[in-house]
Amino acid sequence: MEVTHAVHAFVKTLLLLLLWSQCEGRESELSHVTCGSLLKLLNTRHNVRLHSHDVKYGSGSGQQSVTGVENADDANSYWQIRGKPNRPCQRGAAIKCGQAIRITHMKTSRNLHTHSFISPLSNNQEVSAFGENGEGDDLDTWTVQCDGDHWERDEAVRFKHVGTDVFLSVTGEQYGHPIRGQREVHGMSSPNQHNWWRSMEGVFIQPSQVPLRHDEL
Amino acid sequence: MATKAMNLCNVCCLLFYVITAVLAGRDFYQILGVTKSASIRDIKKAYRKLALQLHPDRNQDDPKAPDKFADLGAAYEVLSDEEKRKQYDAYGEDGLKEGHHSSHNDIFSSFFGDFGFMFGGNRQQQDRNIPRGNDIILDLEVMLEEVYSGNFVEVVRNKPIAKEAPGKRKCNCRQEMRTTQLGPGRFQMTQEMVCDECPNVKLVNEERTLEVEIEQGVRDEMEYPFIGEGEPHIDGEPGDLRFRIKVLKHPVFERRGDDLYTNVTISLVEALIGFEMDIEHLDGHKVHIVRDKITKPGARMWKKGEGLPNFDNINIRGSLIITFDVDFPQTQLNEQQKDGIRSLLKQGSVQKVYNGLQGY
Repeated sequence: MEVTHAVHAFVKTLLLLLLWSQCEGRESELSHVTCGSLLKLLNTRHNVRLHSHDVKYGSGSGQQSVTGVENADDANSYWQIRGKPNRPCQRGAAIKCGQAIRITHMKTSRNLHTHSFISPLSNNQEVSAFGENGEGDDLDTWTVQCDGDHWERDEAVRFKHVGTDVFLSVTGEQYGHPIRGQREVHGMSSPNQHNWWRSMEGVFIQPSQVPLRHDEL
Repeated sequence: MATKAMNLCNVCCLLFYVITAVLAGRDFYQILGVTKSASIRDIKKAYRKLALQLHPDRNQDDPKAPDKFADLGAAYEVLSDEEKRKQYDAYGEDGLKEGHHSSHNDIFSSFFGDFGFMFGGNRQQQDRNIPRGNDIILDLEVMLEEVYSGNFVEVVRNKPIAKEAPGKRKCNCRQEMRTTQLGPGRFQMTQEMVCDECPNVKLVNEERTLEVEIEQGVRDEMEYPFIGEGEPHIDGEPGDLRFRIKVLKHPVFERRGDDLYTNVTISLVEALIGFEMDIEHLDGHKVHIVRDKITKPGARMWKKGEGLPNFDNINIRGSLIITFDVDFPQTQLNEQQKDGIRSLLKQGSVQKVYNGLQGY
């Protein structure tokens, strides 16, 4: 008797689950970082946000500098997630773990970039913001390293550079004037506690239904 | 006698009708101006258009404006929710269960942003002395299909909001030079940080959903602002969030203004004897093309009304311009075929030599 009851209950919950999953209409990507989203990235070890501005490095490549800042209300800390060059990602689609993306600085439209130049404070690899109007070169691409299928908004991920294989990191060195207190952001060859980043404030785009057919009547 | 009875009957009927009309509740479909089978996108589009027209700030001489506006908000709240719409369709307004009623402010601001809505006047002119947070500009990539039919994009805005915190904080900090006297005729100048005292605030992250409309006929670089959804300013007002439209290139159609251009390759046989075909348009409908004369390479066909809707008046449409090019056969012809062609086409040798690059 008890066995049949248990089986009955099990079958009921299974059916309920099946029905409920069928009822999901358009997919919601509320918990994922999606293509086209604008966001701020926080380094979890040092509590600073990835940042750039119209200030060039005084050494190395002389390109636009990328730093880590403490305050949370600066629009210069916003970056947009975009697809690889010539391969736009679909707007609103969740970014998969292992996917190659470009991270474009909102205010200056330059891409997060690294190359074989030495960083000014720690002698790691210099990370800069490069390009014009969102177009740079092949060294603008990074892969998102995370566990699971997609980049979750509330999980820490790593960014590995496509080309030089370094990880986007902060180890705490601070600049002086004119960007006093900002931390150096550089590329390090090994994954460690300094290269975890998580998404914070931002504008996260949800997937839309493409209006192909007008036979919704 | 009979007329008196009829009058009473009429009055009764009228009273009955009025009572049922009142009890039946509001006609939400009529308020939004949509049909009963309207899609969620049609409903959002209707709300957004009417909300701008009916906002009380814009209709200050109409005493019924706040009621009309409240009706609009209630209509959108029910018809935009699948569950509530089903209940309303079956049982009318009274049949709606007492659920959570989002304030109309929430609904309105998810389409336009916070801080009410400044009609007409520029926001900057009014708040010159209050410091403002940074503006955020998001490039929104849009497909030509969306420009043709319109669409809505839902976004989740996670932003820091200044909340009161206990204690005081330092604000308006600045560097000042202090002069101290070390002895007779000896002075030292030092730089010192001087701050005022203000009530303490802390930044707390909050989330909300915003609806961005991609209007039909929207052009590249057009912006959709959401007031107050930008970066906060600890001593002032938040900036704005602006969505800047970027229309992507399409593999089939090229846009020029409201006109669409496309190319079709036909075979040499089709070019000579005619053909019939369909072109699938951006919303899936077919554009039928019939040709029974000879089609020269580079020939153009104009299809009026098959272009994009004009942004300012969506009843006006541009044209679809189709340019044909001819695919010549790949295999070479043998002597017999060459003779056949010569006799079929009956076109003499031309061999005209001229300067083709200067328009002669």
